[in-house]
Amino acid sequence: MTASLLAALALALPGLLAQETASSPRAKALSLRVKCMCGGCNDPAGACYHSGGTFSGPCEAALAMIKEINQRIARGESDDAILKDFVGEYGPTVLVEPPKSGFDLTAWVMPVLVPLVAFFVVWEVLRQWRRRAGRNPAPAPTVSPDMLARVRHESEKDEL
Amino acid sequence: MDILGSFALLLAFVVAVYAFVAGIAGILTRRLLLARSALNAGMALFGLITAAAAALEYLFFTDNFSLTYVAEHSNRALPAFYKFAALWAGQEGSLLWWSWLLSAYAFFTLFLNRRKHPELMPYVGVVVAGVQIFFLTLNNFVANPFTILAARDAHGVLRLAALADGRGLTPLLQYPEMVIHPPMLYLGYTGFTIPFAFALGALLGRYPGEKWIHITRRWTMIAWCFQTVGILLGAHWAYAMLGWGGYWEWDPVENASLLPWITGTAFLHSVMMQEKRGMMKVWNVWLVFTTFMLCILGTLLTRSGIVNSVHAFAQSSIGGWFVGFLATVLVVCFLAYWRNRDYLRSENQLDSLASRESSFLFNNLILLAACFAVLWGTLFPVLSEWVVGSKVSVGAPFFDKVNVPIALFLLFLTGVGPLLAWRKTSLDALRRNFAWPLVGGVLAGILAFAFGFRHFYALVCLILSVFVVLTIVAEFVRGARVLAGREGSSLLTATGSLAMRNTRRYGGYVVHLGIVLIFIGISGQAFNKDVQSELNVGQRFYIGPYAILCQNLDSTANDNYQAQRATLEVFRNGKSEMMLYPERRFFPASGETETIVATRSSPLRDLYVVYAGTSPQDGNPVIHAYLNPLIKWIWFGGLVVVLGTLLALVPSRRPTIVPAPAREKVWGRAIGTPSGAAAVGAIEGGADAHD
Repeated sequence: MTASLLAALALALPGLLAQETASSPRAKALSLRVKCMCGGCNDPAGACYHSGGTFSGPCEAALAMIKEINQRIARGESDDAILKDFVGEYGPTVLVEPPKSGFDLTAWVMPVLVPLVAFFVVWEVLRQWRRRAGRNPAPAPTVSPDMLARVRHESEKDEL
Repeated sequence: MDILGSFALLLAFVVAVYAFVAGIAGILTRRLLLARSALNAGMALFGLITAAAAALEYLFFTDNFSLTYVAEHSNRALPAFYKFAALWAGQEGSLLWWSWLLSAYAFFTLFLNRRKHPELMPYVGVVVAGVQIFFLTLNNFVANPFTILAARDAHGVLRLAALADGRGLTPLLQYPEMVIHPPMLYLGYTGFTIPFAFALGALLGRYPGEKWIHITRRWTMIAWCFQTVGILLGAHWAYAMLGWGGYWEWDPVENASLLPWITGTAFLHSVMMQEKRGMMKVWNVWLVFTTFMLCILGTLLTRSGIVNSVHAFAQSSIGGWFVGFLATVLVVCFLAYWRNRDYLRSENQLDSLASRESSFLFNNLILLAACFAVLWGTLFPVLSEWVVGSKVSVGAPFFDKVNVPIALFLLFLTGVGPLLAWRKTSLDALRRNFAWPLVGGVLAGILAFAFGFRHFYALVCLILSVFVVLTIVAEFVRGARVLAGREGSSLLTATGSLAMRNTRRYGGYVVHLGIVLIFIGISGQAFNKDVQSELNVGQRFYIGPYAILCQNLDSTANDNYQAQRATLEVFRNGKSEMMLYPERRFFPASGETETIVATRSSPLRDLYVVYAGTSPQDGNPVIHAYLNPLIKWIWFGGLVVVLGTLLALVPSRRPTIVPAPAREKVWGRAIGTPSGAAAVGAIEGGADAHD
């Protein structure tokens, strides 16, 4: 009986909430740039599906954020101003991407910088290998030929 | 039974310590018997940990709620299927599961090699025992799954207690795939311990690189294959269970499973450089080390709660242990490398930039760039909080922006690499090999553009996919034609025969084909659509070519959950096509609700329907429908990847030439092979065709 009541409550609770959907493509895009701040999910407000929750759609927190976006767009405010105020209210964690300023800029720079540096290092290594290959032959292996032959033979036979 | 389990775990810990200590003593004193005894102890661990795991399973099946772990992750009404899977549903059980899988891998490795490689195996046994000690320490002293439930009575005295019923298994785990997905992923994670043990053992024992590379190639492929299956099953679980219409959210736990897969993929490629040309020995050793450390990091992220994740079902303050273990592994690896770095000297130099060697180098570079980008994004919130004191979010848009260009470049290399020859590729050969695939790719792009295909990345992905598929087909056709001409067989028979003569090479191509299919499936994401609508009985709504009519809404219940179900009829072009039954289930034991998605899947698109709950305005049922193009290609591509890996694991049919081995005294006894095992037949297809 208690379980049935719980079930009924769980399934009916969303009906108590006020529905709000993004009023325009711009509002939809903006609602996908801010995170639902309910603390129970990591979804963008505009795509909050709240896994395990009582309603697989925007939760109360996400609905409030979508409502605020709709209202502020209707008042003619810019995207940047709206996002700035969200950051002011919740901190930078409200944005689904790290800000492109201050220390957080490194989040964007490093994934580009590191492969670029690695690319030039590999390029330089390849050039040096080629130059060295032209000048002198590869060094002799440090393992005795007998042992190498035995190991290679064993390996051919017993791979597993 | 709990006492038996506890005792088995404790004994396993003692035996692991013995395997470690006796192994080191055997190596230092060069006493074969001691080293063998350590290896036997390593094998015995499998039996002991199996006994512990079996005891825990027994306690689950007998509803023994006097045990904390059983009480927290099961209940009487839980189907037997899920009682079995509840073993790895929480922290303590999943760590025991880690230990058990590792002991199984160790058992088979040590058993299959018990009479081989007498110089190398003691080192391998010691490394595996070291890892096992860490996990058994956690099993016994930090997260013991056999902890008894206790409560204080009215006088404040601690007494044994038992719940009448358990708290149940989290609903997210009550899905058939969750019985397979975690074991697969863990088989991947634990499996990478074996190549790690061989690499570190070979380095410590100053053993030739060829040895551990050859022995572990298959173990690495097996672990990689399990990891691939585990990742794809996880993605499929997220798709079928979470109800948000997607399969990959760049969640930290998803990322953690991807990281060792990426470095493992890099290793499977770069290892060919060492086998063929004796190059990149340092690189390979460090790739294996890194892969193992990323497996541990993955477990740390899953278990510690350092980062938030929908997949992290078991969190605690166990992170410190993993950090300590990671640091120890790093120090040991670095010291082993530093002391023995002269043994990793390259045997050959690069002859040309237009060669397969350089393509492998760039392939590794791009793979590691992808690995770094994923790791960086995953850990950046923690780093940012540490540096500037405020936490930032790094969500899917960040990972998409950073990783999509990297992934497309990798796709390009997948086509280019096999077309380049070892050592040097002539300009003429380049032109000959690239011309038709390139023309095919560009033509596909032009056609797609003409038909209104405008998404930039999806278009590039299509062009590259066609290019790669054509290079793979050309490789098969070229080889099969030669063979068909020589043997007088049909092209189809010759293709099969060709694949069996060099399973590794052609298995690799099949894996590449599977990866291309997965890429095509992923590119479909650019064209996803979704509609959310209130839907009462008799009402309908439209998405893409489909009309969805609500036929009925009803409730069902069993001992485990209560469900609300929508019966939806799907029409296309006015004709009824099928019925869909999305559900919402409420689990009284845990008090949680879950969605059961209904999907109509075809190679072109998935119609994915979620019963979202009742409308916030009027209590009407809300249906959320998604139209996801090409999703099926991802699952089918995964299957092709597995088939390709299995083909690569089958020994090639071609005979090989082996050198006559010299008999050599090792550890006081003669080892070697029977004399006269010199040149054994001719190589069909030429050694250079290998890989």
